[in-house]
Amino acid sequence: MNRKYGNEEVDVVIVGAGAAGGVLAHELSKAKMKVVVLDAGPMRDPQKDFASDELTMKNLGWQDTRIVDGKNPLTMGHNNSGRGVGGGTVHFTGVFLRFHDVDFKARSIDGVGEDWPISYEDIAPYYDKIEKEIAVSGPKYFPWGNFHGPYPYPEREPLSPNAYMFQNGCEKLGIESVVAPLAILSAPFEGRPPCINRGFCNQGCMPDAKFSTLIVHIPKAMDAGAEVLPDCMVTRVLMDKQGKATGVEFIHEGKAYQQKAKLVIVSAYVVETPRLLFNSANEQFPDGLANSSGWVGKAFMTHSSHDVYGKFHREIRLYKGTPVLATTQAFYRTDPNRDFARGYTLHAHGARPVEFVNGISKSTEGFLWGDRLRETMLNYNYYGRITLVGEVLPNEKNTITLAEENDEYGLPRAKVTFSYSDNDLRLISHAVKTMKNIMEAADGKPEFVVADTAHLMGGCRMGNDPKTSVVNSFGQTHDIPNLFICDASIFVTSGGGNPTNTVMALAARTADYIKREMGAGNL
Amino acid sequence: MSKRSHYPSYDVMKAKDEWDDHTQQIVSKRLEPTASYSFLTKKEAAMLQQICGQLTGDERESLIFYILDHMDQTLHSSIGEGQRKVGAPKAKELLRSGLEALEQTSQEKYELSFVQLDKKAQQQLLTQLSKEQAFTSKRSSIPQKELFKKLLTMTLEAYYSHPLVWSEIGYGGPAYPRGYVRTQLGQLDPWEAQPEDE
Repeated sequence: MNRKYGNEEVDVVIVGAGAAGGVLAHELSKAKMKVVVLDAGPMRDPQKDFASDELTMKNLGWQDTRIVDGKNPLTMGHNNSGRGVGGGTVHFTGVFLRFHDVDFKARSIDGVGEDWPISYEDIAPYYDKIEKEIAVSGPKYFPWGNFHGPYPYPEREPLSPNAYMFQNGCEKLGIESVVAPLAILSAPFEGRPPCINRGFCNQGCMPDAKFSTLIVHIPKAMDAGAEVLPDCMVTRVLMDKQGKATGVEFIHEGKAYQQKAKLVIVSAYVVETPRLLFNSANEQFPDGLANSSGWVGKAFMTHSSHDVYGKFHREIRLYKGTPVLATTQAFYRTDPNRDFARGYTLHAHGARPVEFVNGISKSTEGFLWGDRLRETMLNYNYYGRITLVGEVLPNEKNTITLAEENDEYGLPRAKVTFSYSDNDLRLISHAVKTMKNIMEAADGKPEFVVADTAHLMGGCRMGNDPKTSVVNSFGQTHDIPNLFICDASIFVTSGGGNPTNTVMALAARTADYIKREMGAGNL
Repeated sequence: MSKRSHYPSYDVMKAKDEWDDHTQQIVSKRLEPTASYSFLTKKEAAMLQQICGQLTGDERESLIFYILDHMDQTLHSSIGEGQRKVGAPKAKELLRSGLEALEQTSQEKYELSFVQLDKKAQQQLLTQLSKEQAFTSKRSSIPQKELFKKLLTMTLEAYYSHPLVWSEIGYGGPAYPRGYVRTQLGQLDPWEAQPEDE
């Protein structure tokens, strides 16, 4: 393969070019560091490689087989991962929320989960920076949490029919709702056009109106000198006898290569990051790298993401417009009058036929198929949808481990074991009821509840105590000073909102730390 | 609401020149199923033809053959399954041994091949499969619900990706470079399906 830094020891090698990897690559290469970024998947051209088609674009998710287990085995793929340069940002809905101050202190305030070793104030300047950098659009006033706007760009207008349905329902019930803050342009920015309400955010944005690190951070990183290598699956972090990381081994088109680096950052997301640490075990680190605590792969979380589909007397047309345009966080914080701790966000959420049918054919009502399904689908345009993003509490028994079976590279596959806790289930019941109420208030009849999940967080959590955490708040592993983890796996709790903004803000914070520490000769 | 399309004269393919080349190519190809298979045997394809008809509630060959193409390509390719429950057989194995078990069950129960069964008996077997009740203890190692789910998912994702079905349900289809302008409740852009109900 044609290499720029093939025979050199670079400053930093980054495993994974997703939300975090993109930000790191951009920040560190801007600071004149020699950076190599490796991604297991392809580098796509939105104009040529994307399509307005659900089935074709399933490949934006990580499709490799994971073995799933537990009381609530997870569906893995498009709903909770990305593959290829840009990672999950290529097909995420673009919802760009901040965590609230209480999210970082759930143990102290609500007596559940764990506290993060940082507070909202530590991350706030990085939220500002990231939101400005990609011109997040949002309401003039955002009523919840610590940041009330205004956002860098005005809120989107017009919305979608389903978002108007949601707003109507909320208004009738006195539930405050807003136009969702989105990493989707409402006006031109840096040569990119505003959104045309095409509605295929989850299939990859063809007009480049939605941000992804594929079109924003990675090209900027490359301009600043970073070498970005797609289709390179990292199989091992290389270590020396002194217990320091020396680089990575990767496979490209069936051939193994090495990249030497002073610093290794793993940004491979919640399943692949622990898997790589486990698969890199050696004599000195027999239980996997950075795992002296035994916490690698433990207490990972997802978001409960149940959907309620309701039928209306007049058409809604769920395919029209950006999928998520209206949101409420009115149920975000712990309320002592409820039977569960913590809370959730609700979104009006569009759906195309494949996603729609995949949901309603396997709803909590049981399987729907044959004539009854066909009759229901003929009324596709008469359905609306509301979706939950609910907090899931960390539980040591929810784990990423290695399975018995190997993948195409000869590496053990990941095993993902997940069960909801009672609190998680009570939160879901409450949210489903709220979603039904909103739909009924908008004159709809709730017909299907679909149990689903979205996003992954945790599994290599940050903390001050090396005995109970994997990394410090900057993503630096407690055990190996020049090995960093920077992605959603370092989350301590899941929060009750979409995590991408927090992933990117943490990455920007880690980048600042690395620049500072490298400059001072500490790394 | 009716059991027929609300949009009988709507044809999403009429707008295909408005779509980008890549999408045009992908969607147009669905109208010409190949009916030649790399993974599926003839016998399996014949069985699946009946099963897909049952699952979709639609027996039109042009649609079913496209679903079979999709299933065959998916099973033939090396793309992963996303997730597989611990202890469950791999998708290829699940499908192959699952269809075989279904055929044998049909022979034992009715002394007929699955494809010779009347629609009602086929439906009954599939319903039992979805409830883990189709196979006798000899074949109980096959996770029946997983098999049913796999068949259902693969069938429906293809069926509802077919432009003929898009037209029937009034789905606007591909939308690039053209997006949507009129998005208030009840508003339609001129190229969208217009309801024709009386």
